[in-house]
Amino acid sequence: MSLLHATWLFPPEGSGGRLFLWADTWRVATPAVPKLEAPEHPLALNEDDLATWLDDNGLWSEALRPARATLTLPSRNQAAKGRRTSASTWSGLPLQAGEPIPKQLEWWPWQVEGWALDAANAGEWLSQIPLAGEHPEMADELRWWSHLQRWALSLIARGRWLPQIAEGKARWLPLLNREDDRRRLEDLASGLPQVATCALAAGPSGDPSLACRRPGSGRLRVASLLEALLDGQLRVGFSASAGGLDPLLAAWQKALGKGDGSLSLGEEELERLSIATHHWREGVAGKVEPARTCLELFTPAEGEELWELRFGLQAEADPSLRVPAAAVWAAGDRGMQMGEVAVPQPSELLLEGMGRALTVFEPIVRGLDSATPETMQLTPAEAFVLVRTGAHQLRDVGVGVVLPASLAGGLASRLGLSIKAELPEKSRGFTLGETLTWEWEFMIGGVTLTLRDLERLQAKRSPLVQHKGAWIELRPADLRNAERFSVADPGLSLDDALRLTASDGDTFHRLPVHRFDAGPRLQAVLEQYHQQKAPDPLPAPPGFSGQLRPYQERGLGWLAFLHRFDQGACLADDMGLGKTIQLLAFLQHLKAEDELKRPVLLVAPTSVLTNWKREAHGFTPELLVREHYGPRRPSSPEALKKALKGVDLVLTSYGLLQRDSELLESIDWQGVVIDEAQAIKNHTAKQSQAARDLARPSRGGKGGSRFRIALTGTPVENRVSELWALMDFLNPKVLGDEPFFRQRYRLPIERYGDMSSLRDLKSRVGPFILRRLKTDKSIISDLPEKVELNEWVGLAPEQKKLYNKTVDESLDAIARAPLGQKHGQVLALLTKLKQICNHPALALKENAEAVLASGNGSFSSRSGKLQRLEEILEEVIEAGDRALLFTQFAEWGLLLKAHLERKWRQEVPFLYGSTSKTERQAMVDRFQDDPRGPQLFLLSLKAGGVGLNLTRASHVFHIDRWWNPAVENQATDRAYRIGQQNRVLVHKFITSGSVEEKIDRMIKEKSKMAAEIVGSGEDWLGGFDVGQLKDLVALSEED
Amino acid sequence: MTLTPTTYASAINTQLGDQGLAQQPWWVEQWMELINSYRFKKRLERAWEYARSGNVTSIRFEGRRVHARVQGTDEEPYKVKLWLDVLHDDDWNYVLDALTQKARWSAQLLAGVMPQDIERAFAASGKRLFPFKLQEVRSECSCPDKANPCKHVSAVYYLMGDRFSEDPFVLFQLRGRTRAQLLADLAKRRRKALAKQARQAAAKQGSQPVAAVALQPVHPAIKDPNRWWRYGAALDSDLVVITPALEGDTGLDAAGPLPLAEEPRFPEANLHFLEHLKAHGQQLAALAMAKAMGPANGDDS
Repeated sequence: MSLLHATWLFPPEGSGGRLFLWADTWRVATPAVPKLEAPEHPLALNEDDLATWLDDNGLWSEALRPARATLTLPSRNQAAKGRRTSASTWSGLPLQAGEPIPKQLEWWPWQVEGWALDAANAGEWLSQIPLAGEHPEMADELRWWSHLQRWALSLIARGRWLPQIAEGKARWLPLLNREDDRRRLEDLASGLPQVATCALAAGPSGDPSLACRRPGSGRLRVASLLEALLDGQLRVGFSASAGGLDPLLAAWQKALGKGDGSLSLGEEELERLSIATHHWREGVAGKVEPARTCLELFTPAEGEELWELRFGLQAEADPSLRVPAAAVWAAGDRGMQMGEVAVPQPSELLLEGMGRALTVFEPIVRGLDSATPETMQLTPAEAFVLVRTGAHQLRDVGVGVVLPASLAGGLASRLGLSIKAELPEKSRGFTLGETLTWEWEFMIGGVTLTLRDLERLQAKRSPLVQHKGAWIELRPADLRNAERFSVADPGLSLDDALRLTASDGDTFHRLPVHRFDAGPRLQAVLEQYHQQKAPDPLPAPPGFSGQLRPYQERGLGWLAFLHRFDQGACLADDMGLGKTIQLLAFLQHLKAEDELKRPVLLVAPTSVLTNWKREAHGFTPELLVREHYGPRRPSSPEALKKALKGVDLVLTSYGLLQRDSELLESIDWQGVVIDEAQAIKNHTAKQSQAARDLARPSRGGKGGSRFRIALTGTPVENRVSELWALMDFLNPKVLGDEPFFRQRYRLPIERYGDMSSLRDLKSRVGPFILRRLKTDKSIISDLPEKVELNEWVGLAPEQKKLYNKTVDESLDAIARAPLGQKHGQVLALLTKLKQICNHPALALKENAEAVLASGNGSFSSRSGKLQRLEEILEEVIEAGDRALLFTQFAEWGLLLKAHLERKWRQEVPFLYGSTSKTERQAMVDRFQDDPRGPQLFLLSLKAGGVGLNLTRASHVFHIDRWWNPAVENQATDRAYRIGQQNRVLVHKFITSGSVEEKIDRMIKEKSKMAAEIVGSGEDWLGGFDVGQLKDLVALSEED
Repeated sequence: MTLTPTTYASAINTQLGDQGLAQQPWWVEQWMELINSYRFKKRLERAWEYARSGNVTSIRFEGRRVHARVQGTDEEPYKVKLWLDVLHDDDWNYVLDALTQKARWSAQLLAGVMPQDIERAFAASGKRLFPFKLQEVRSECSCPDKANPCKHVSAVYYLMGDRFSEDPFVLFQLRGRTRAQLLADLAKRRRKALAKQARQAAAKQGSQPVAAVALQPVHPAIKDPNRWWRYGAALDSDLVVITPALEGDTGLDAAGPLPLAEEPRFPEANLHFLEHLKAHGQQLAALAMAKAMGPANGDDS
């Protein structure tokens, strides 16, 4: 997979420049050796391939022009890697994004082909680049560029620019005097990926010289990039149409709309215009400097009246980094170091800032009478002006202001509440509406006060008052609001407490809550609810035949905890952590507590119903499980009710949930569980609606409450668009209605990656989602390094028919066959059956192209195994993991390769008998080393089962079974071996009832037959008589 | 060339009327007062007419002198030269000494503001920045008129007032130091004084002088090559929704009128220019917001 990059091409001198698009990809390359000019980047796409790529991805623009550039990139010295090269010759390769960084690094210039856009078109092009989210084929810096462009758009929208004469050219310059814009410049500068500016100054045809570009001070570089983007976009469409201008302005106006901004003016006139525009700008714009002047206000000492204002400098990159004026003066004529920031002329900077401060906050003039002033005093009235309006104005002219914490503005300095609450004596904290015992006080700027205090302070008729040692600002409406609240004297429910403690800035009866002290018992409930502390673990309930790992006990405890609150729960543990087991343990827990009175409905994709049945049978034999599935299922409410008598758990599919919705609604379920809950992600889909309807007790009002549990292995909390449907199933009130949700969360987060909305959303849904990863510290110690998972799958109707037909026909034929041919025929039968279990197309030797042309859906639907495989792979790919897939059939490998490549639109290499030795090595290298290498790797059991090192995979799939577990284990060990950093999940597919299950059972039971199998391949099968053979191959009916 | 009496009157009003005058920076005001102190009002009026109708074809500040060309009755324009008495280096040293005494003077000069009490710093040298009397403004004109100042010189006076509003530091230049020179000299002097102060303080405390500034630190991207590639930040929440400027809150509003002397022949040229810029800005602002909203109805899933 190739990766798109974007780098700025600075012109050799002056401002402006172009955006240069290039891409690299993974391929085997010969290291470059030194030459007189920079070597060609061996991994870069050429011009044509890049153009095709851009076109394929909808990123082509007619404004793109071919270009070349010399880029400075971190490079690997191949000689240092220990290849056999003489010590004198250097040879190297450029590193790619995401590659592990070797210890020995060098920076080296590389020539790259690509396409360039001028500034105006660059802005246009960057506006369509996604602002958030993972895009595997776009390098990080593209997101950085899109953020920079978004800022440019914001500056244009807010009109924060001013035309100027700069370096003799007419330019549109951004005006970065506002506090937030200055901070943003620092943010973008500190985050700048150097690759975005790693090109040397280059002419139109590039400059192949052997020079490197230093990583630079981000601030100035980013400012000049912003300047270029903004200038390009403001220049476009500016027509020199205003009439009645004198020649000077007319020339300027014309140049502002011209591409290069050159002015047709004499030197002297240009000088005059340049000085005038400079003065025009000087008053409003701060320069881009490493530090700014900063004024710090201190409250009067005890018994004093006057406030103190101290002067100093503040680092732009880190406003908490401040030095007092005394230190600035003491630095004399030397530069100064503020943390990592170097300030070359601190005293000049300080003075210039004071000069600007003077233009908006006049009282400062008194403080500047000496040569090296450090501080001054302000009257209370002046201090109030500074707090109220001066600070804001000063910040807007680029002067920092630090106010005492209690006056620093923001929510904390407003009238709010300090709350103390605890559960009532008798309560156990289990119902949401329950009223808490609580007391409250008013709070402003961190100090508490009573209504009487407020009245007393208000009487002083001064906006800044001292209370309990702190200075606070009283607002006219404060007393009124306080009185209103005192009169209302509302109660506080547990529900309120949960909400108020979920996120900052929530209000209670319109007053912000500044402090919330929960008593010990309430605190315990809150912590568990907000998952700051895991709920008490529950041991495996009596009647549960199996063991729970410690984190599974915590999961069970959590399910029980939310159940007590009547809250829906989504268990979203990573694949392989045992969601099924935890859910079964939870049901058994209810059963053991005698709380399971009515049946529970579990909805799952058809492909996993078999698995559920097997697992329930194994772990919770006391639960009476019934499938609502197949043509013989009850079809009337009466029949269903009768069939469900005494049944604890009913399994059904999403398809039937929708088709039999009325029937299913007639039952008074105790709970509804949806497995693979991503199935209801589309909130308008019928099955999603059916699931949500079923989650609420029926409209008639009969029946008790109904618990809701969702299981999924995907990171639900990150899929904003799917969260609403999920929460609407679990706890409908949490996210409001869909239009509200879309406006408030989905659009800001998905389109713009708005973190504050995302944080808010997460804090809202957080209590209801439990997701643990295999890599979590608390999990990893509980988990063996290799986890084996049996994936039970059923047969699709076509498979079943074909299977039965094949068995019937073959057994007859074998019985009649002469002894010499019997062995061969038995083997052929077994092979064919295993093929049918994989996919009918394989067994029928259908034309691959024709089969695949039928479309993804219809190809998968013919095989239960393939459906399940796809579901699991979906999660693997989603998580960014890598997987090995083993099969014993080369034809199946080829079919699967084509199918998977089409489905996920990524390359899936297939290593098998006919792969040449060099190809093999290339596949392995690429899988192991390419930062954007394929995530799936198909191997034939024979060719790929030994000798290879594929530790980058953390999943191993055995798509079909081999008789000899040693062979499977050997294949598994391609990933599970020294060098493996992660837990390895081994997925073994077993088609239930089929020959595959028999093989599995034999291997497990280590039966005599199995003992014979080990080491003997399939030869022994020839000795079977027909009866034994029939037992082995015939499809056993569902129990 | 010929102005109707009404435009003439209104033009004068904008320049010299009470209100117009009050809005000028103080140094322009002072200059105008100087001119108006001239006794021959008739000649002044003619000079004003000259200035209004564009007879002054060029003004150049060359070093310490002002060179201008004024179209008179002759075919060739007359050459006008204006200059002030230059301060000697010794005088400048006094001025600089005085300027370093008050942080405010340096602060304002650095921020591009002409301090109102600047003359007090010049008083230290016994000299002035502004000419006290018109006689101090030396002039030469190639016209045959014997009177000095003649109407050509006076016409240049008027326009110089406008030029002062563009760049008040032109006055420094006429006195022998450009703004850049002045700031550089000031900085040198201040640093010297500060260095001395720092040495004294160090000597008093008996402590070691502070170590010299550290070498330029190695860029973090060299230490952590991942910074070559990686960018993990989310979009600033302020940029999620792109909003237009509040009324009167654009950069153009903040910068105010152009500090560029209007040419009399093109009244309100500055205004036209700015109005056009504003219109362009508004149009592009609307466009930028539309662009930021993304494709219309992009989400109807």
